Amino acid sequence: MRFAWCFGLCVLGAVALGQQKSFVSCPIVRDTKTVPCYLAEYEGETYYLGIQQEVTSEFHPPQLKHQVLVEGRVAEGPRVCGGIPLQPVSISVLKEVNLSCNTLLPPEPGMDAPPVPRAVEPARREGVTGPQEFTMLYAFDDDYVDYAANEAVTDAAAYAKRIGAKNVKVSGYRATTLLSSGERLVEKPGIAEKRAQGAATLLRGLGISGVSTDAKADAEPGDGKTDPSRRRVTILVTP
Amino acid sequence: MRRFAFVFGVFGIALAVSAQYQDQFKNVWIEPGSGVVLPEQDSFDSVNGTVGVLYAAGRINTDQNPFFTALGTNGRACVTCHQPTYGMSVSVSGLSQRWHLTDGKDPVFAAFDGSNCPGLPQNQESSHSLLLKRGLFRIPLSWPPKNADGSPKPVEFTIEVVRDPTGCNSSPEYGLKSADPTISVYRRPRMAANLKYVVAGARPIVLKTGKLADVDPETGNPVSMNLMTDAREASLKTQAMSAIMGHEQARVAPRGEQIEKIVEFESQVYVAQANHIFGGPLALPDGPQALGPAALRDHKAGVIGSINHDPVFGLFTSWKGNDYLRSSIARGADLFMYRQFWLRDAAHINSAGMGNPMKGTCASCHNSPMTGQDLSAGWIDAGTTNFPTWTEAPTWAEASELPVFKITCSRDSDPHPYLGRLIYTTDPGRALISGRCADVGSIVMQQLRGLAARAPYFANGSAQTLREVVDFYDRRFDMKLSDNEKEDLVNFLGVL
Repeated sequence: MRFAWCFGLCVLGAVALGQQKSFVSCPIVRDTKTVPCYLAEYEGETYYLGIQQEVTSEFHPPQLKHQVLVEGRVAEGPRVCGGIPLQPVSISVLKEVNLSCNTLLPPEPGMDAPPVPRAVEPARREGVTGPQEFTMLYAFDDDYVDYAANEAVTDAAAYAKRIGAKNVKVSGYRATTLLSSGERLVEKPGIAEKRAQGAATLLRGLGISGVSTDAKADAEPGDGKTDPSRRRVTILVTP
Repeated sequence: MRRFAFVFGVFGIALAVSAQYQDQFKNVWIEPGSGVVLPEQDSFDSVNGTVGVLYAAGRINTDQNPFFTALGTNGRACVTCHQPTYGMSVSVSGLSQRWHLTDGKDPVFAAFDGSNCPGLPQNQESSHSLLLKRGLFRIPLSWPPKNADGSPKPVEFTIEVVRDPTGCNSSPEYGLKSADPTISVYRRPRMAANLKYVVAGARPIVLKTGKLADVDPETGNPVSMNLMTDAREASLKTQAMSAIMGHEQARVAPRGEQIEKIVEFESQVYVAQANHIFGGPLALPDGPQALGPAALRDHKAGVIGSINHDPVFGLFTSWKGNDYLRSSIARGADLFMYRQFWLRDAAHINSAGMGNPMKGTCASCHNSPMTGQDLSAGWIDAGTTNFPTWTEAPTWAEASELPVFKITCSRDSDPHPYLGRLIYTTDPGRALISGRCADVGSIVMQQLRGLAARAPYFANGSAQTLREVVDFYDRRFDMKLSDNEKEDLVNFLGVL
């Protein structure tokens, strides 16, 4: 038993299972026989973030030429592509170009990309008719509506139509990330408004009327654990 | 030596085959109002055989058909720039012949956009050099872009003209500082055929931008945004109206029924390579099922294929064998679908959640079945117009035939994902319509059908041959293609 515990530590080095890691660094791309693995280094350790997948998948890889904000939990299991796996993990590609982020590693024997993870089934709301809240999540400092957020706003519109909603309230939020270093990253002012207006525009374009918006100008505090979930827009659909 | 002997033998046979098809070779330039009757199926000379044109509605009497009628003031009709002979576009070789035959008087050379700039002396070839050398028409676009109600759109960047070989962008009459500030870019006319595929695949939200797709002003339905180089026209009807008011310089808007007739005509035209000079007819019962114009007529549009069972241009398995040309084409098809390389720094591909770099193939972007456009609204910065990967001379000050613009993006906008906030470009592409910095250099993909009839290639006409297209991508993405692989790809693209 003691051996097994020690073995876990040996695999992960000095990193404890379940520990939250939030940091900004350059991503690293590791080629394999199949699809590339995406990694990032922090305090001398390498973390595995994910593999190339479809645009519809949950994980969106980072990008060379850009730093990335990584927010993830140290997961169980052996190293993947040479990195300690983080799962769940949130990736925010920072907007400014950074040419120093340019590491592409060749394939190495024994470093294979894992299989593509199974897609998560979307929540179904069939038969529901009461007030429902839909959440669109965003990358740090970003108002880009990715595939998952696109699905959320589309679902909200479909639900509003189905129940003949009288009120659709869109609320935009701005958040803070608490980095593992103790530093706080605060999203730019105005991002909550931009997110809310963008979501409202999508809803109106999807045929929903009576959409109201509000935006929380103050950034919500970060806890270093659940910060990605606060970079959001909520859509409250009321009959 | 053995390979040489084999090729020589094939060449000898090919000459005989070529002579057999020689009688069918023709080029026909249709003049507006000529009243010609078009047969249900026709074929025309292309660089490597014949291009086939099929009218699904049957024989077409062009008399009084508004597609073939000059509706404006400069003598042009839609057919002027969308000639069946050239795969419903127009080729440089055809334009050159036309220049010499008409002494430059054909309406296709109209001063407004068939010359480098309207203010130039119109009787000189040099004033039409971009059209004659690269098949490019001037596209004057208002700056800043305007909303439907005429109000200016918000823009995220300033634009300066830093090189102006045509003189149009710095012209006090036509340029950026004129009374009606205008940016002139120079682009190829797209093929007006196979359009059911081009307008298919509309989604309410554009995946690449996370924003609403444009809607058809008539129906309110979202549109594919794949029609134009910069996706500025929502529907075939708005495109026809805009082309008549612009390219044909109409003073009076065409009637609704004329627009409907134009859309009706162009929606039933199918174009694809029909014969290969060495390989004979391409659409055969036991051959690849996507070849020839009838396949385009019969295939369903807007469906997503499968990489193994229903690739973009179907399976070429039956051509894998001893026949030199067919084997090469089949290898080219496999290269197109399956030959992986690092796709990097392509805005709206890598930056749309796919990672940078990612491993992909030609078909990663050219994914729409039968035409090879992008099934999603397809503007991508593949690097053809933006420095340093652009198709022009490496140092723009030396020899760029195109204008060069300096784009400076504002600090509070999202930068271009790989070029940042200071970009030199020969054509800002979609950004001239959206006003977004991240769109600078993004161009909507074109169809890959009937290519052999309508050189040159790319929206800026920079590739005179299909080999130059393949060479560009080989350089741009460091594909490390061998000469044999390049030949296979060229042979494949040449039969689409």
